[in-house]
Amino acid sequence: MEIDRTDGRSPNQLRPLACSRGILHRSHGSASWSQGDTRVIAAVYGPKAGTKKNENPERACLEVIWKPKTGQSGKEEKEYETILKRTLQSICILTINPNTTTSIIIQVVHDDGSLLPCAVNAACVALVDAGIPLKHLAVSICCCLATCGHVILDPTKLEEEKMKAFAYLVFPNSINSILPEGSSHTKSKQLEDGLVTSVTHGGMSVEDYFHCLDRGRAATARLSDFLRKNLQPQVLGEGSKAG
Amino acid sequence: MEQRLANAWHMTVNEKKFIEAALLLGLRNDGRNLYDYRKLTIKFGREDGSSEVQLGQTRVMGFATCKLVQPYRDRPNEGTISIFTEFSPMADPSFESGRPGESAVELGRVIDRGLRESRAVDVESLCVLAGRFIWAVRIDLHILDNGGNLVDAANIAALAALSTFRRPECSLGGEDNQEVIVHPPEAREPLPLTLHHLPIAVTFAFLSEESIVILDPTHLEEAVMGGRMTATLNTNGSICSIQKAGGDGIPQSVIMQCIRIAASKAADISSKIKDVVEAYNNERSLRKIKRHHVGVAAKQ
Repeated sequence: MEIDRTDGRSPNQLRPLACSRGILHRSHGSASWSQGDTRVIAAVYGPKAGTKKNENPERACLEVIWKPKTGQSGKEEKEYETILKRTLQSICILTINPNTTTSIIIQVVHDDGSLLPCAVNAACVALVDAGIPLKHLAVSICCCLATCGHVILDPTKLEEEKMKAFAYLVFPNSINSILPEGSSHTKSKQLEDGLVTSVTHGGMSVEDYFHCLDRGRAATARLSDFLRKNLQPQVLGEGSKAG
Repeated sequence: MEQRLANAWHMTVNEKKFIEAALLLGLRNDGRNLYDYRKLTIKFGREDGSSEVQLGQTRVMGFATCKLVQPYRDRPNEGTISIFTEFSPMADPSFESGRPGESAVELGRVIDRGLRESRAVDVESLCVLAGRFIWAVRIDLHILDNGGNLVDAANIAALAALSTFRRPECSLGGEDNQEVIVHPPEAREPLPLTLHHLPIAVTFAFLSEESIVILDPTHLEEAVMGGRMTATLNTNGSICSIQKAGGDGIPQSVIMQCIRIAASKAADISSKIKDVVEAYNNERSLRKIKRHHVGVAAKQ
């Protein structure tokens, strides 16, 4: 039994992805990420000198500013800021630039569902564009649980509203090891099983949640391929410039 | 405070001297002539009333939204237009989030005066039921990239957003004809706003001693300029507002010359806005035909 989606996608199908980097001139790193009609612009400034109050000066500090499309930012935006900040903290190498602050500014251009995953992906690309040292990339996906127990990926706003529950999941990206297979096998295996962030809305059974996790993880392989393909050309270009 | 100073962006004395010396020779560091405008691109978002303007390296997004509210007591049959500007910390390292700063407020006021107080938008057509319900239109302007001359870019973004904005149609119903029914966009085609004219802001920067005037300054030129003037004109050549807040004194003849240049630039820009809006509207009507077609196919 297949579930019908208004835009004719299959349950596992993601909306068309688009990503561009370095779109802003003044910021140190910037990216625009869109999934279907959802579009987010992220900019990164930093590392700037000094940390904010109540932050550990022995580590690099991150600051996330979320700008809604219209109106003042309220509680929801504050929550997104916190989630995003903690997610990005876990992928940045915080010991490299102690006592500095890196600001990540997220501007929502259009919200058509899966907003937070879109922002996580955009922020990640912007961090790479700014050259902030990262342990690995993070890829994010939204899984939706329909009332009949089916899981669909990357829902639109309309689908998000109709669904029983949905989960925003962030995974570390799947690693393409350049080391010989045997030596790094155990480590990459460990990472692929990791889950960085999980934010759920609505109630679901434990089995359903694990089902979501499985499907989400399977889909992130495609996302991280896309991410890698987008990030690679410039890395090569920079290498040739330096050489 | 110390940290903030360290993080703020400062131009070196050499850079400033270079730009000044070049301007004295009539050269600009981006290769333009003194009275050239930078390349202007206007794009529209997925939905009505959203625009993205790029003026050289400056980038501004505008969103127009509306809601039904009660009118002010002294103007029971007029809708309202309000403009919200915020310098997002995305645009410039020295912009901080939180309360809008002095220059953000000035920017909003200049646009507000040019647009609202020159009565460019027909506010009476925004009235639904006198004294009870009017449409309040809100324009949010997000500065994404500060490449200088934010006023002009933000003003164009506001105009582009307003020209493509459509409010839902509504009618009066209920027992005593006093209830407002808002029709969803699927049921009845939303209505565009009535714009009487397009007030275009054109900004000049003045360089201190040598009375050099440049059009459309970049952020580098803004750092060395001695004064600035924004003239807002429409295609009829009438002046909607002029803003020159302090700075160096300028001879009257220079101001007259500026206004003449501004009038010709305003004509260029407004024809550009009209062209892109027309293209958008054509595309929009085509899109609707397609959508309708799909809907029919799905029913069968």
